[in-house]
Amino acid sequence: QLDHGRALHTAARGGLSSVSPQDVPAERPRAAFHTSESDPAKHTEQHEARLYNIPLEEVKAVFPHGLPHRFQQQIQTFNEARVMVRKPALELLACLKGSNFAHPAVRYVIYGERGTGKTMTLCHVVHYCSRQGWLVLHVPDAHLWVKNCKELLQSSYNKDRLDQPLQASVWLKNFKTSNERFLQEIKTQKKYMWGKRESTEEGRPLGEVVEQGLARARSASDAVGVVLRELKQQSHRGSFRLLVAVDGVNALWGRTTLRKEDKSPVSLEELTLVHNLRKMVMNDWSGGAIVTTLSQTGSLFKPSSAYTPQELLGKEGFDALDPFVPIPVPNYSPREFESCYGYYLERKWLQHEKAHTEDGKAELQFLSGSNPRQLDRLAGPL
Amino acid sequence: RIMPVRWSRYNPSYLEPEVKKESYQKPLEELTEEEREQMELKAVRPIKAAPPTLSSSAFSDPMISKFTNMMMKNGNKVLARSLMSQTLETIKRKQLEKYHKAPENEKETIECNPYVIFHQALKNCQPIIGLSNITRGGKTYQVPVPLTDNRKRFLAMKWLITECRENKHRRTMMPEKLSQELLLAFNNEGPVIKRKHVLHKMAEANRAYAHFRWW
Repeated sequence: QLDHGRALHTAARGGLSSVSPQDVPAERPRAAFHTSESDPAKHTEQHEARLYNIPLEEVKAVFPHGLPHRFQQQIQTFNEARVMVRKPALELLACLKGSNFAHPAVRYVIYGERGTGKTMTLCHVVHYCSRQGWLVLHVPDAHLWVKNCKELLQSSYNKDRLDQPLQASVWLKNFKTSNERFLQEIKTQKKYMWGKRESTEEGRPLGEVVEQGLARARSASDAVGVVLRELKQQSHRGSFRLLVAVDGVNALWGRTTLRKEDKSPVSLEELTLVHNLRKMVMNDWSGGAIVTTLSQTGSLFKPSSAYTPQELLGKEGFDALDPFVPIPVPNYSPREFESCYGYYLERKWLQHEKAHTEDGKAELQFLSGSNPRQLDRLAGPL
Repeated sequence: RIMPVRWSRYNPSYLEPEVKKESYQKPLEELTEEEREQMELKAVRPIKAAPPTLSSSAFSDPMISKFTNMMMKNGNKVLARSLMSQTLETIKRKQLEKYHKAPENEKETIECNPYVIFHQALKNCQPIIGLSNITRGGKTYQVPVPLTDNRKRFLAMKWLITECRENKHRRTMMPEKLSQELLLAFNNEGPVIKRKHVLHKMAEANRAYAHFRWW
């Protein structure tokens, strides 16, 4: 593995691949925390605690939704997207590389305390899968589907259920951006009726179903259901690999804050989107993997100190997800902290004079407790 | 029991607490005569309690704390401090974006440190001379009067905060508006600098009454 330090920030970003591989030059010790390996498939323990660059065009294509808000602001300020390679992500990638796709899909649950990097680990895995050519079904935050919904329509497909046109159409739009080429290749296997006059015939590309969902907001949730169902049925054939990435999966088994027009509370079984997503997260299909994240920050009716799968999923959720591979995400190790601090210094994010000293660094480490989110928030005003 | 609010009721023999870490890390030989005397005095005299705003952190700044206290409403220091940190972050982001987009020769002229910008902006907003109301023979005159350092700092901060609270759109957040005003004041533009100039002009216009001042 050849790692050479990244060029200074004044050099062009695109010129990295043209630099011939050399040993780490001794005159650039501060660039030791960067790595020029921008393909997650080639990340190994050697790259641990280093930051790799994702080209901005790829960011727009692979992550139309799903990156945390503060990270998006950071991308805009620094003009580049740098993600740290950490151990939980490397473990997950090793598991994915070695998994047998003839067996039922394995479920991975990333959990950890608040602000330790679960969403970023998920984004790392999503980037790897999209580079490998998988079909990525990325739900950025399942909590957004169970709270603050302005419109709830009664579903035309099933009288008891409720539709969410806004959330469904937003998700379909982002799904279309990230998986353009698959939508032409995959064909529907059944005829679907959208209301009395419109229908999609058997054998039409899946892109038409998505267009239908985007054009008619009323049938957007049903379109989402159709998409999920088709992908699940066709993934075992092996023509494509399917990755189901859900952030905040504990929203699917809990409670909602939504109410119907007669002010009676809505239970989760009555929402079409939640119902379909639950079926997707079951391990009764093969030819892919399911990677999920628990999240307390958006969750409803859960105490703020809860972070383990048992507490956040509840009995129902834990039984439903039961054979899963838990992946804990800890705070920064000393090496990772050094790497993050060095990156902030290099990008001129830490402007305070005292922040450059050893005392300042020790103070930052103490105040943040090596928690990535706290470090980011502390380094903001400094 | 009466709790002292504005004037301290400490015995004059009480000394101020020393917070800076550097002063405790100096070895004995490097101290000058006065410092040795100070150390001996500290061994015998009692020390006042440190106020909660005094911090030994390397990143604390007395001007920033004063400004945060002035921004605080109803004792909500948490909110005031978070607004202040968001303001500093916004300033830094705006300047960094400008820095990365600027051509090579202009990069040194762009100041990215939010603390430097804050201090320079406050300095630019401080008036040199003030006006005070003096009543002579039934009429009140606006008399030009010199200001102390504390009063200048207070006026600069007060003007900035009132400007940001009043002259903004209902939906703009305080950090955004404050960062805008601070950047304008840093470049000697903006409504606060204008207000300072208006005050200077009034003082210049009322030069004739300067002899009314007796202090």
